[in-house]
Amino acid sequence: MVVPTPEPSDEALAARAAAGDDSAFEAIVRRYQARVFRLACRLTTDTDAPDVLQDTFLQVYKHLASFRGDSQFRTWLYRIASNAALMHRRARARRPAEPLDVFLPRFDADGRHVATPAELRVASRADELLDRKVLAAKARDVVARLPDLYRDAFVLRDLEELSTEDVAQTLGVAPATVRQRVHRARLMLRGYLSDLVGVKP
Amino acid sequence: MDYLEGVVPEDVRAELDAHVAGCPRCAAFVASYLETPRILRDATAPTLPAEVEASLRAFLRARTSAFKFRH
Repeated sequence: MVVPTPEPSDEALAARAAAGDDSAFEAIVRRYQARVFRLACRLTTDTDAPDVLQDTFLQVYKHLASFRGDSQFRTWLYRIASNAALMHRRARARRPAEPLDVFLPRFDADGRHVATPAELRVASRADELLDRKVLAAKARDVVARLPDLYRDAFVLRDLEELSTEDVAQTLGVAPATVRQRVHRARLMLRGYLSDLVGVKP
Repeated sequence: MDYLEGVVPEDVRAELDAHVAGCPRCAAFVASYLETPRILRDATAPTLPAEVEASLRAFLRARTSAFKFRH
């Protein structure tokens, strides 16, 4: 009977790689390359993402010895990848924060929503109402339209599903700031999605 | 924002829940707000193209001692 060998943990691979075991480093690359590429696409552009991917794993290779194991390996690697992505983007003009008003639900004098429930709900049905390919192409655009500060927090928290605390550490801001930026990003994106299906937010 | 994040005190939350439950417009807004991350998560998940993976291998082979042999 063949007993399947359990996959080694990230931390075990990192320790072996740090001790000079190249096959362990290669296993780390194989395990995380698709996720790092996805993160890079979400934080930068298709053009920059391959470079971000390369930078990330070169940094990981160089700094494996400094990974102490006091944080999760995954968190450590995401921090390196996020920083690599942000470095690539830094050269480009920063996108200033846009006023939020247009993305907030509008109320009449009696405090009622101006839009109908169907109009308000339409953003949540964008994936039913739009063709998959159209939505995929547009989704990248709408995330890229966000002001950078909101985009970074939203991508890490809501798309990559890191904890608020990990996002705060990665971006070097307080957890409350992360929550606020993610909230604003969701409001804007909800508005963009409504726009996409042809309804004013 | 705190309500949408689920971090308001219990009594405030109960009061808002009651309002949202009885108000189709608020319910529609909250639903679409909460759905937005999922829709965008599903729609922005590219797969790693083979040529990008190949250039990563070549890059690391040139700069590290890893990937010296074909796997």
